[in-house]
Amino acid sequence: MQKTPTWQRVVRYALVIIVVGMFTFPTYWMVTMAFKPKVEWSTAHGTIYWVPKNPTLENFDTVLTEYRGQFFRANQSSALPSIRSSIIVSIGGTLFALLIGTLAAYGLSRFSVDTGDLPWYVALGRLALLILVLLPFMVLWAWLGIIRYWYGILTFTILGIAADQLIGRLLGRIYRGPTGSLAFSILQLRMFPPMAIVIPVMIMWSAFKLIDTWYGLVAVYGVVTFPFVVWLMKSFFDEIPRELDEAAIVDGASNWGAFLKVVLPLAKGGLASTALFVFILNWSDFLIALLLTTRDWPTIPVFLNSLVSSEIGAQHGPKAALGLLAVIPPVVFGILIQRYLVRGLTFGAIKR
Amino acid sequence: MASVRLENLRKEFGTVVAVKELNLHFPDGKFAAILGPSGCGKTTTMNMIAGLETPTRGSIYFDDRRMNDVPPGKRDVGFVFQNYAIFTHMTIAENIGFGLKIRGVDETTIRREVGKIAELLELTDMLNVNAGRLSVNDMQKVALGRSMIVKPRIFLLDEPFSNLDAAFRAFMRGELKRIQREIGQTMIYVTHDQVEAMSMADLIAVMDFGVLQQFGSPDEIYNQPVNTFVANFIGSPNMNFVACSFRSEDGKGYLVQKRGSARIAIDERRRQLLEHHSGNQDLIWGIRPEHMTLHAEPISSDCIQAVVRFLEPLGPKTVVHLRLGEEHIKVIAPPSYREAAGVVQWIQINPQYLHVFDAKTGVVIR
Repeated sequence: MQKTPTWQRVVRYALVIIVVGMFTFPTYWMVTMAFKPKVEWSTAHGTIYWVPKNPTLENFDTVLTEYRGQFFRANQSSALPSIRSSIIVSIGGTLFALLIGTLAAYGLSRFSVDTGDLPWYVALGRLALLILVLLPFMVLWAWLGIIRYWYGILTFTILGIAADQLIGRLLGRIYRGPTGSLAFSILQLRMFPPMAIVIPVMIMWSAFKLIDTWYGLVAVYGVVTFPFVVWLMKSFFDEIPRELDEAAIVDGASNWGAFLKVVLPLAKGGLASTALFVFILNWSDFLIALLLTTRDWPTIPVFLNSLVSSEIGAQHGPKAALGLLAVIPPVVFGILIQRYLVRGLTFGAIKR
Repeated sequence: MASVRLENLRKEFGTVVAVKELNLHFPDGKFAAILGPSGCGKTTTMNMIAGLETPTRGSIYFDDRRMNDVPPGKRDVGFVFQNYAIFTHMTIAENIGFGLKIRGVDETTIRREVGKIAELLELTDMLNVNAGRLSVNDMQKVALGRSMIVKPRIFLLDEPFSNLDAAFRAFMRGELKRIQREIGQTMIYVTHDQVEAMSMADLIAVMDFGVLQQFGSPDEIYNQPVNTFVANFIGSPNMNFVACSFRSEDGKGYLVQKRGSARIAIDERRRQLLEHHSGNQDLIWGIRPEHMTLHAEPISSDCIQAVVRFLEPLGPKTVVHLRLGEEHIKVIAPPSYREAAGVVQWIQINPQYLHVFDAKTGVVIR
């Protein structure tokens, strides 16, 4: 083997150092900032502190305690309720999405026929037709002035589902690829920017009195991450030979028995990596939580956003402290399931 | 134990007809094979018997009970898959005991039954090994054990030995046949390997393109094939087919080769049969390589002349490839046979084993 010239090695390592630095510096800065006193994390007197000079825990104290003092502080309340909220809604949303998504994925993997590209167009056409059908009603509802009320929203939702079913069935008669378009229409949920659906969801949730409740957020998180679960788990289930279910069924197991006793245990690596992925999505969500919570159930990202005021500016130190705390659950979760993670990720990645 | 009867069974996948109006009766306690090339509908038939596929039309009976609407788990069948379908997240013991556990049998009974099966299959030392680490040979044993433990009425095997190594496959063939004879288990065995079917089965159903070609004992299938497909599919090396036409001279019947000058005399019964056959100018004669002998000189007036092309020495026998007119034929010769290419040989055909087929339909004339 030929020896690599020195200058090439120098360039190579320099590049490695730069890239690694770019990736690790923000993390480093957050970790150190969490332990810096205010003089060091603020730029008030113009010096940059690369390492904390007088390490302190006061930032943690600031975010984790309630404040009843005389002077102004950005957060009056402690971050503890938001940590509790984040844990409950993220785990709840993840479990909800895993529960319905895994079942749906199994159904799509086992009881469907690959129908090629056409379902895409069928599903897109259906979406377009749905909008055309519903538009006149939207105008009518606005004219009647009932779009603001819960019964207006309810009738509109029912009308939407009914119209969608009708169009779906009519198109299904022309083209027989029901399950292919089903899998795709699940993905449709993610095809527009979240902002576009969060506002209608907020209106609905306020009508159903689900704003600022943990179950309201769990429901939204579950539905929003459901498509990811379906598509990830479907690829894991597709890897497991169908003969295994059939063997279990011939030996006397029901469809449920075959799923729970044979297929699911074999897909647990995939389930673990899907769970982590979905948990991280839920844990890091800001937009949905911002719009759907007010006082009792804001999550960590929403609370972080509140650590700023016009009088004393952004509270970078406390933000970094809370951010550091927020990193812990995904990391711990990741380490716990690491054994399955590597296998799960590679297992699902290889297509036959 | 039970017999299996299929009545006008049909299965369509979209526009593809996988099985076409199949009528079969597998008797109780017999070892039957479904034999055919891949895509002939044999696995589909098997899946319908097990209940994994729903027939488009027709009925399946176990003894006299119609099984179409009985779910697979309630049909009391054992199924061994080609790829074993071992549950790799369980131990061998858990795999074998799966069927009993699903049925809610208590732990002690399960352990006892698993022990018995393990002994039969020589897996006793490995019961607590994780099934994911097994060799394919042992996996196949575990798959057999898992199906056997529930004492099914009908045992279905879908090419169970095709992934095993040659020596172990031969061993398992013998073992399976022994077990079947001992317990008188009704077994249906799907395979594309004629040697497996011929060596193990009491009855063979030959299928092609979803249509049953012939159903009979290995002896019948081998010696009295009903059409060119069956004749060609069974036997290794396969049967020689020569296009010919019928000619009658001086009250004697002959088959005259079309792409060459070979001529075989046929007996009186055949002559009359072919005389009245409308397509008698468009025939095929078929003869197996093992039913011909090679000679340096014409030993009788019936001998036909051919030229050696090359030899295939196989040890216990030698396959001689010859040119007969413009056609290529194979003859089995003793292992000592060593004639060089280009040598003229005289072929003596054993007329008892001569088959005549209609060239248009491929159906035998007899």
